[in-house]
Amino acid sequence: MAATTPPKVIFEHEGVFIHSNTEESDDQDLLLSGFLRILEKDGETVVEYKPLEDTVDPSNMLCAGKDSSSVVEWTQCSGEKGHRPMDQQLSCDTEWDMVNAVSFRRKPYTNGEGGLNHTNERSKWAFSFYVCDLKSISVKCEGWSYLTFHLRDGNTLPAVHFHQGGSEAFLDNLRKCAQLSECPDDEHTLIVSYYNKALSQSFENLLDDTNYGLVQKFKKDPYTTTLGGFSKVTNYIFDAFRGSELECQERPAEEMSDLLGELIPGLEINQQEEPGFEVITRVDLGARPEVQRREPVTVEDWTKHQDSEGRISNVTHLKHIIFKGGLCHAVRKEAWKFLLGYFPWDSTHDERKNLQKRKTDEYFRMKLQWKSVSEEQERRNSRLRDYKSLIEKDVNRTDRNNKFYEGLDNPGLILLHDILMTYCMYDFDLGYVQGMSDLLSPILYVMENEVDAFWCFVSFMEQMHENFEEQMQGMKTQLIQLSTLLRLLDLAFWNYLEAQDSGYLYFCFRWLLIRFKREVHFQDVLRLWEVMWTGLPCQNFHLLVCCAILDSEKQKIMERNYGFNEILKHINELSMKLDIEEILHKSESICMQIKNCKDLPHSVREILGFSAVPETSTLETSEYGILESPQTSPRATLRQDQLISNGHGHLRELSHNGCKVAFIS
Amino acid sequence: MASRSSLLKVILLGDGGVGKSSLMNRYVTNKFDTQLFHTIGVEFLNKDLEVDGQLVTLQIWDTAGQERFRSLRTPFYRGSDCCLLTFSVDDNQSFLNLGNWKKEFIYYADVKQPDSFPFVVLGNKVDVTERQVSAEEAQQWCRENGNFPYFETSAKDATNVSNAFEEAVRRVLASEDRVEHLVPTDAVNLHRKPRNTSTCC
Repeated sequence: MAATTPPKVIFEHEGVFIHSNTEESDDQDLLLSGFLRILEKDGETVVEYKPLEDTVDPSNMLCAGKDSSSVVEWTQCSGEKGHRPMDQQLSCDTEWDMVNAVSFRRKPYTNGEGGLNHTNERSKWAFSFYVCDLKSISVKCEGWSYLTFHLRDGNTLPAVHFHQGGSEAFLDNLRKCAQLSECPDDEHTLIVSYYNKALSQSFENLLDDTNYGLVQKFKKDPYTTTLGGFSKVTNYIFDAFRGSELECQERPAEEMSDLLGELIPGLEINQQEEPGFEVITRVDLGARPEVQRREPVTVEDWTKHQDSEGRISNVTHLKHIIFKGGLCHAVRKEAWKFLLGYFPWDSTHDERKNLQKRKTDEYFRMKLQWKSVSEEQERRNSRLRDYKSLIEKDVNRTDRNNKFYEGLDNPGLILLHDILMTYCMYDFDLGYVQGMSDLLSPILYVMENEVDAFWCFVSFMEQMHENFEEQMQGMKTQLIQLSTLLRLLDLAFWNYLEAQDSGYLYFCFRWLLIRFKREVHFQDVLRLWEVMWTGLPCQNFHLLVCCAILDSEKQKIMERNYGFNEILKHINELSMKLDIEEILHKSESICMQIKNCKDLPHSVREILGFSAVPETSTLETSEYGILESPQTSPRATLRQDQLISNGHGHLRELSHNGCKVAFIS
Repeated sequence: MASRSSLLKVILLGDGGVGKSSLMNRYVTNKFDTQLFHTIGVEFLNKDLEVDGQLVTLQIWDTAGQERFRSLRTPFYRGSDCCLLTFSVDDNQSFLNLGNWKKEFIYYADVKQPDSFPFVVLGNKVDVTERQVSAEEAQQWCRENGNFPYFETSAKDATNVSNAFEEAVRRVLASEDRVEHLVPTDAVNLHRKPRNTSTCC
């Protein structure tokens, strides 16, 4: 452990494999799982691969010891390490234990008898190199991506296989410290050129903000002790890591952008040492097709789609015309119940009447629950008290300029309040989170009925639930997905945002949390939402709506050379200035543009729900897919299955997806 | 150097509904909007002012107060020059939470010397008749927690709002004077960024 300054982890990804079959023993095609990291060490950037070493019994998680390898203490990883007796380590340093436990849980389980259990056997596959010694990277795909590093001294390292995704994220992070440009002769090869070290170093010093420092804070963190579980800690780590990148923003970011002004010529993509090289992520999308929107669906249109018993016929067509033009206001009260899934499309009038009756009873039963809580009880129920207090405050601050909610003692306010309180009873774990009143308000406005509004809100919340959960995973996932889409659509703009430390698209937070509710006028929210609820023309259409808005703003942002703060301010101030039809038009057009592209990155296909073989029926898949985190995507699961069933049995990847730490993406 | 001014970052913290956005809007635009929404995400406004002959651009950051949004707002704490801890005099819980807000700020803002960091405490909504927190209680808390200046404000009728913000600026400038005596003059001062007020493209 001779390092003078502790290395800081810039990027880390688990589930990176080396196929350790050698020519001598090709029957031994062993999969070696490990971590790939990018580290900052004494001012140099290092890429490091380390195989996982330990078999971990999950029951030991809580007493994982302090000297275990962990995301925190990389200092010791460079040294030699013997096996550690896991079962006898009991530390009282709870914060550290929790941190360590996180890292331990992430280790895959190996089936004791395999040939790879010995530290020595595994550690011989570990490697690390300075990025400045890296000459090129081969990027290949075999259902998953794998990378091979070629060093300047002529050595080639064993290929690392990203069975669980993450190669793009790795390359993206590598791009922050080195320039990767596609070799003109070989599209699978990236030529690496290292940035001027002196410059990047001054940059580094300027930021004076390291991931390491943040993680170090765990020791002192007064909050960590109050965190209840591993998941919260993992989330915390995520925030710490991600946060640090965001945190560079503040004041330093402003100074940084000044400095960047000088640096940017050197950071530009298509030049420097290898002129004429293209950036790899560029995909030729082709022209944006013209699309036509149409008039809103009228009462007549709507009734035409119902049979005598009230079943909706030709739902596909109906959804299509709703997507294309929205609904006339008179249709909304009924149509929204179907769009939101409160009423099944194939139900009859009678069935719906029965359903409503049942749902009315159910609603009032739940309403009575909070209504009948005495003051005494409330005093002993801090969560209910907090929910109630915040609902009271927020109801008074939601759409008060709308006739339906304006003035004192407006009955609309009481309904808004009662429905939100009843929702707390419906889902007490989630309770009330700010933003939910914004989601309810338009629904109540359209329904003009407490019970119907409640159940439609429940349906809408099913889609939006993850946005509001403790971990805000839905928000994180969406921001990452949006970043992926934007990078495909407009690499130059994405690079600009990255350079302004805005690559995480933080400024889209409000857009995503409450689906543009605060961005467009109330009547336009109604239009936008009903269009999005059709689930057309692709999954996660709302992300393309974000892209469309950004597409209209990028020129301003780039020409005026906005930095982090200005971008945030500019985006915030777009509120109520956006033209809904223009946005919908452009979003659809972007969707068609992407759909027409033949060689879409897999990640993009997944986000938008485009299967490999385009199939119209799949375009109507529900929106719920959006809430899936990339780690638990069906694709990743499939790969894991392949891993398990590859017949070798030396390594079994248990599905510990659920506890995967989010910062790896 | 008459055309130069300092950029000061001030952050408003406190429970949801205590009036953070209203205070910011009152101070910057001198308006009070009864129909204001609760804040989602993070916003900020700039205001140029002159305090004791010094030109200052105040950048006021306003955040969502609910616990759930902590991970969203805390990254914005860094680089703050002053923190306005805000509660509402008609909401005792918001007063009781001041300590938590202070702790959260110090932790995430990565304040080097928490003991000398300029906090200012604002008891808002003094226009409301049903008080739950007395001025004495609030003053006592301020004395015991670091001798913070305390202002009883009303964003609604503009009581004391500019006084509070100006005091924040004075505090920052004062603490900066102290620091500048300690820092060798040739060191690059990353903390304070001189800015040209003259706008040019």
